[in-house]
Amino acid sequence: MTRTNGRRAPGTILLRIAPRLFSARFVSAVVEPTIADLQSEVAAARERRLMGLRARWRGYCAFWTLTLVAPFASWAEATERDTAVASGNLVGRLAVGATVLLVLTKAMLGASVAVLATAGAMVAILIHAWYERHPSDIPTPIERTWRSPQINFSSTDVGGNAGGLIFVVGSVLIVSIGLPSVLWFLLAGTVGGCFLAWRLVNWHARHPKWGLPENRIVLR
Amino acid sequence: MAAQNAPLARKEQLILELLAAGGPMYGLLLVERSSGALKRGTVYVTLGRMEAKGLVESEQEPPVPGSIGLPRRIYRLTPLGERVLRAWTVFARELAWEVKS
Repeated sequence: MTRTNGRRAPGTILLRIAPRLFSARFVSAVVEPTIADLQSEVAAARERRLMGLRARWRGYCAFWTLTLVAPFASWAEATERDTAVASGNLVGRLAVGATVLLVLTKAMLGASVAVLATAGAMVAILIHAWYERHPSDIPTPIERTWRSPQINFSSTDVGGNAGGLIFVVGSVLIVSIGLPSVLWFLLAGTVGGCFLAWRLVNWHARHPKWGLPENRIVLR
Repeated sequence: MAAQNAPLARKEQLILELLAAGGPMYGLLLVERSSGALKRGTVYVTLGRMEAKGLVESEQEPPVPGSIGLPRRIYRLTPLGERVLRAWTVFARELAWEVKS
């Protein structure tokens, strides 16, 4: 069906890859129609080389977009009958999606951004794994619920434990990779901050009834 | 397949409208007629979800002799899809009237 007179239709290799990435239902309902559109569009372009190339490019982009959206297509989750599918699980498809995203990031935004994105993802996974094993008991202030979302390090709740330390060190490393000119400032700030934190903990341990209640450090 | 009690997404509404106006179509044609609202990378994901809800149904087009590649998949409205579109259109009109008045 995909080869006639020695010519291979475009997307044949993608059709071979697809069952390893997606569930059988997703392949038949989404991937095959997408490849069929690519093939018919290339066939319609016939001898017009530029249009053919454009059709191929758009079709291949559509296929790789599918790798990113497939984890969110819950209606196409593998059923028990699809257990023969090599990689129908969410983690596998997320990993493929993340790899594709990383390659696209490197190609479009450069290696430094790709390294930053990878470092950020690794730190996030590390922190998540830590808190999965050591659930945080930091209460979230009520007023946080109505605040508009924003990226603000100063308002980030960080636990006084190894998870918090991973967060701080990871953040400093990521920013220092992205902004090498402020590396020494960040390192000095980190060391100074750690020293100040250590002194505060010691002081509060010796004066447990001093200071505002919300600023007291509870040692565990 | 039974329809789910989920609200109609904007893209789903657009696809229902395009299929109601233009008859059975394949995904690429829907993308072309949507004036950029639908993308070829995600149109079949939306169509697959709508098929799972019972709003559209599909079949492969008959193979053309001499052609290479897979046959395309043609989508059409189901009776449920027609009813949902009609109900949604009435609801949107009523809502617009309420807001206006």
